[in-house]
Amino acid sequence: MRSTQKRSREARLDAVFGALSDGTRRRILARLARGSARVSDLAEPFAISLPAVCKHLDVLEHAGLLRRERDGRVSRCHLDARPLESAEAFIERYRVFWSGTLEALALYVEKAQELADQNLPSR
Amino acid sequence: MSDHRDVTLVLRRLVRASPARVFEAWTRPDELARWWGPSGVECVGAEVDLRVGGGYRLGNKLPDGQVLWIVGTFELIEAPHKLVYSWRLEPGPDTRERVTVQFEPRAEGTEVVVVHERIASAPLRDQHEQGWHGCLDGLARLLGE
Repeated sequence: MRSTQKRSREARLDAVFGALSDGTRRRILARLARGSARVSDLAEPFAISLPAVCKHLDVLEHAGLLRRERDGRVSRCHLDARPLESAEAFIERYRVFWSGTLEALALYVEKAQELADQNLPSR
Repeated sequence: MSDHRDVTLVLRRLVRASPARVFEAWTRPDELARWWGPSGVECVGAEVDLRVGGGYRLGNKLPDGQVLWIVGTFELIEAPHKLVYSWRLEPGPDTRERVTVQFEPRAEGTEVVVVHERIASAPLRDQHEQGWHGCLDGLARLLGE
């Protein structure tokens, strides 16, 4: 039960990291962060075909970062930033590990330096 | 798809000692064993073969008693200024993470800059290797997530 939950979390993280690994998709997300947009609006700044843009949108949707909404015959895209929080939480663990490790390094090296200075006052 | 990730983490810390001294503390096993890891994590083993292509292993004992090894291979060594090495957790999946450590001289001592690249989430293909998540969860608990 618990491992099933873990696996689905891993799958979600995989999808989010995969989605973020592409520059075009990051620019699409940046555009959506300013507000919802039609697919044709999203395609406009890029020198790629509409089907290629749609493939990127599929990847973003699969990662849960994008929601599509029918507006008559036009489909509008919205940003859903919630999955980014879980990706950030993953990175955050490493950040905390490293900052604690660098803190330990500074404490150790400076303490050793202090002792050396005390023992060799004339140097 | 799971191979296309590029998430980078950068951390800096000023240490009041020379680059040569900090580099030494970072690369000598007997010294690493005395300081490596955040508060609450005990370094229970340090092996360093300091040459390009040489490996390293760092044992991290978490508060719940579980031991997480950080292992990798040196890709570049420029004593006492720069180190580049691969980074993998054991037990854990075979990832392509890379760590660059720079020891930059400052008036007050050394600024240590850690760049951790290609941070990956645990790939699905390693479903049987639960150690990875157990270790990260242990760390997260320890660090008060």
